[in-house]
Amino acid sequence: MKNAPILILVLILSISIPFTAAEAATVEEEQIDLQMREIAKTLRCTICQNESIWESQAELAHQMRDIIKERLMKGESPDEIRAYFLSRYGDYILLAPQKSGLNWLLWGGPFALLAVGGLFLYRTLSRWVAQTTITKQEDLPPIDDQLRKRIEQELHSRED
Amino acid sequence: MFIEIGHFAVVVALVLSVIGVIGPILGLKRNKPDWVRVARQAVTLNFFLISVGMAALIYSFLTNDFSVKYVMATSNSKLPIFYKVAGLWGGHEGSLMLWVWILTAFSTIVVWLHWRTQPAVMPYLISVQSVIMLGFLAMIVFLSNPFERLFPIPADGRDLNPLLQDPAMVVHPPMLYLGYVGFSIPFAFAMAALFSGRLGEEWIKVTQRWTLFAWIALTTGILMGGYWAYYELGWGGYWGWDPVENASFMPWLVGTAFLHSVMVQEKRKMFKVWNLFLIIVTFSLSLIGTFLVRSGVLSSVHTFATDPGRGLYILIFLALMMSLGFGTLIVRSGRLKSQIEMDSIISKESVFLFNNLFFLVAAVTVFLGTLYPLLVETLKTAKVSVGPPYYNAVFMPVALGLLLLMGIGPSIAWRKASLENLKKNFLLPILIALVGTAAAWLIGIRTVFGLAGAMIVSFVTTTIVMDFAKGSTLWARRYEFNYFKAFYEAFTNNQRRYAGQITHIGVLVMVVGIIASTIYQTEKVVPMRIGDAIQLKAYTIKMVGLQEVTGPNWTAQEGLFEVYRDGRFVTQLLPQKRIYTASQTPTTESAIHTVNLGHIFLTMPEVGPDGVTVRALINPLVLLVWIGGGIMGLGVFLNIFRSRSKASL
Amino acid sequence: MKGWHFILALAVVGLLVLFYKGLWGDPRTIPTVLIGTQAPSFSGPVVRTGEMITSSRFQGKVVLLNFWASWCLECRTEHENLLALNRRFGSNPDFVMLGINYQDRKEDAEKYLEVYGSTFNHLRDPKGAISIDYGVYGVPETFVIDRQGVIRYKYVGPLVGPAYTNLIENVLEPLLEGRPFPRS
Repeated sequence: MKNAPILILVLILSISIPFTAAEAATVEEEQIDLQMREIAKTLRCTICQNESIWESQAELAHQMRDIIKERLMKGESPDEIRAYFLSRYGDYILLAPQKSGLNWLLWGGPFALLAVGGLFLYRTLSRWVAQTTITKQEDLPPIDDQLRKRIEQELHSRED
Repeated sequence: MFIEIGHFAVVVALVLSVIGVIGPILGLKRNKPDWVRVARQAVTLNFFLISVGMAALIYSFLTNDFSVKYVMATSNSKLPIFYKVAGLWGGHEGSLMLWVWILTAFSTIVVWLHWRTQPAVMPYLISVQSVIMLGFLAMIVFLSNPFERLFPIPADGRDLNPLLQDPAMVVHPPMLYLGYVGFSIPFAFAMAALFSGRLGEEWIKVTQRWTLFAWIALTTGILMGGYWAYYELGWGGYWGWDPVENASFMPWLVGTAFLHSVMVQEKRKMFKVWNLFLIIVTFSLSLIGTFLVRSGVLSSVHTFATDPGRGLYILIFLALMMSLGFGTLIVRSGRLKSQIEMDSIISKESVFLFNNLFFLVAAVTVFLGTLYPLLVETLKTAKVSVGPPYYNAVFMPVALGLLLLMGIGPSIAWRKASLENLKKNFLLPILIALVGTAAAWLIGIRTVFGLAGAMIVSFVTTTIVMDFAKGSTLWARRYEFNYFKAFYEAFTNNQRRYAGQITHIGVLVMVVGIIASTIYQTEKVVPMRIGDAIQLKAYTIKMVGLQEVTGPNWTAQEGLFEVYRDGRFVTQLLPQKRIYTASQTPTTESAIHTVNLGHIFLTMPEVGPDGVTVRALINPLVLLVWIGGGIMGLGVFLNIFRSRSKASL
Repeated sequence: MKGWHFILALAVVGLLVLFYKGLWGDPRTIPTVLIGTQAPSFSGPVVRTGEMITSSRFQGKVVLLNFWASWCLECRTEHENLLALNRRFGSNPDFVMLGINYQDRKEDAEKYLEVYGSTFNHLRDPKGAISIDYGVYGVPETFVIDRQGVIRYKYVGPLVGPAYTNLIENVLEPLLEGRPFPRS
């Protein structure tokens, strides 16, 4: 069982055998396909309920994928292509909202909550720890030599 | 005739649930225990009445009684019997019936199971359960009546939504509802505790198994839904961060936080208000999920036909339940004084708190992502979308943090973890985590999530293995057992802990599946004709034919594909493009071949006169997602059915 | 009341208000971002003749673009109104109407025009390039472009009833007569 992670990684390896060198043209085409997929996954199919244009089987999504490909072949960058769709359909088409204005609430909110919550938790815990030790010292009778001996004896007797 | 009897039964149940709400309150006020007993009978009777309603509906489905509007809308004479029964929860009205039926069943069990042992809270318990029942029954009777007749009687039904004609979809909604409704029981106990002022650990101990059951049912429901999406929606993914998926995920996240946090109260009598808060949030989120799915406020692949009237009703009900829950908590929480004793920040107690923080942040992330479009629309009348790219960037880091805590929590000491304790428990896991990360790097994993995943998974796996090893060694040494017997003894003597660890193993397995199948998925969408072949990693997929096939209520174009690896035949794949006859709705049926726990996945989204479009995927290790789910279930099963006689930790 | 009581109550109320407001919205409509921007240029073959038409031909004119498809049922309900529009404004030399055939087959489009009649040009958009340039997500959609080539109006859905009169009285007439465009 200790080797489980390694075993799993080996399994992954065994499945993902690298493909043999193909012709340069198809390699480039595959590269474009791959890029297209990455872009298409970040754009929302505007006529579907809630799918990216990569997942959607709608005709419009199909045409949008072709347009992404065309623009990639013209040498446009993924961000330029996203900007094009943004200029046509507005924020609705971006599956990851732009990082600006109110959207920072969305992007930063969870992390801010984590930070604030973490800090709050840490301070509360420290306060509790402080309280606990104070009450304990007050409550406990002073330890005299006799008591100390007994405690040590009991501790020894348990340590076998 | 049967349908009228069913309708009548449900109306009577509505009236009885009013008695269920008022009876116990009167009984308490006037000190007449008989009233509580009457309320108990009302709850029990309701279960039988709703069962009659269900039976009447199922009967109408099986006999193709299309004079019933609901049957007409969700069934068809050619629909296979299997799906006729499932058609019952294939639409809004029927699925509400299922909800209520499960609720009455659970309430009845609770009332009879805990009648003797929990007399003090029983009146409140009955009352709270009946309020929920009343809310849903009123909706069925006044706004979503599945017993409505149609005239003139149509010749045939419109058929069950073809996407729902799938075995996973038959099981998915009941499981989900078992989970949602299951959480109503700890919720009702919590409310009863608040009302009665019995705010000790009792309610948590009593509901422990209920909570576990609700949790695993919800987990199963979510995973089934994922499996359905995976092979029925045809894009090769099992989780799309769709609002409806999120709606079931949010109560899961907070419910999981609750599941962990109650352990602190049991052991250390701390966090009392917090636990009440968590269960109220969990149940509220179940109701919010119902609202989101059935009101049409959000657009999703899964929503029911929408109607603002229903939405408004659920919203009012939601407002009542949330006011009841949180209001009571606010008014009553002053009575609660946890005895706070915290010896050190480095202790199990504080890891539990951080676990809760992370779960809550995770839930808030999903919540924010789901509702943000609504918020923006309300504030700025603009539209935005929040989809997978957002969750991948924001949710995933939080999830990895949770995963890390999963390794620390079970192994760290209560009260105060000494440096020695930390070294003993975590030095080796840290080393192995480093080795694991290095190994991941060596085999070519370069993405941040892949590497972080490998690191955390190796860390947590090592802590769990060490935990098992330590327990077994102790027993082996003390009684000179062999290791198998020692392991068994260690396990059964502290079954709650080790069963929990098994559930954790399930989570790890699932995480490996998720990481592998997301980052290492290979995917191609290509037009093909007969005779064409494509190369997908090591596999060659060749299209050899296209044929017409006919099913009971559909016709399809079926593609014949052969898969080869290094020239050797591997398998044949037969994806279909179906047209369901009654509704003329097309669906894509995927064809899947399993290799090494991964899938070769093929669908034909488009079939035309000049060829087909093929979506081909390799999803490595994707099966681990559901195998992990199975292991989680095993862990919970062992936890629920552990023997009570043995000492529990 | 303690601090957390207040926050909790506020959060619950805020959430319920949000849900209440959400009930009255339609999650499917998308507000356009194109109003006030320069209309994208386009070119395409005329449905029946195949003659190529380029948008530069209409410079200085008020252009009404109507996106439609033969499979779109709502398009049929507005078709009569489109013909009426052309009867009313077609003689104005400063006005041009154009249909853009969206995601359709050539034969189907031709048949549709034959059955329902046509008095103005319709361009085919086989690759969806024009439609996507105009941010079209569902037919019918109608755009009005002013003399300077700026998109001034967009309507999603069939031009019937109030939508039709609004288009004439508050969009086309002011634009053609050079009156200030009333802000709605």
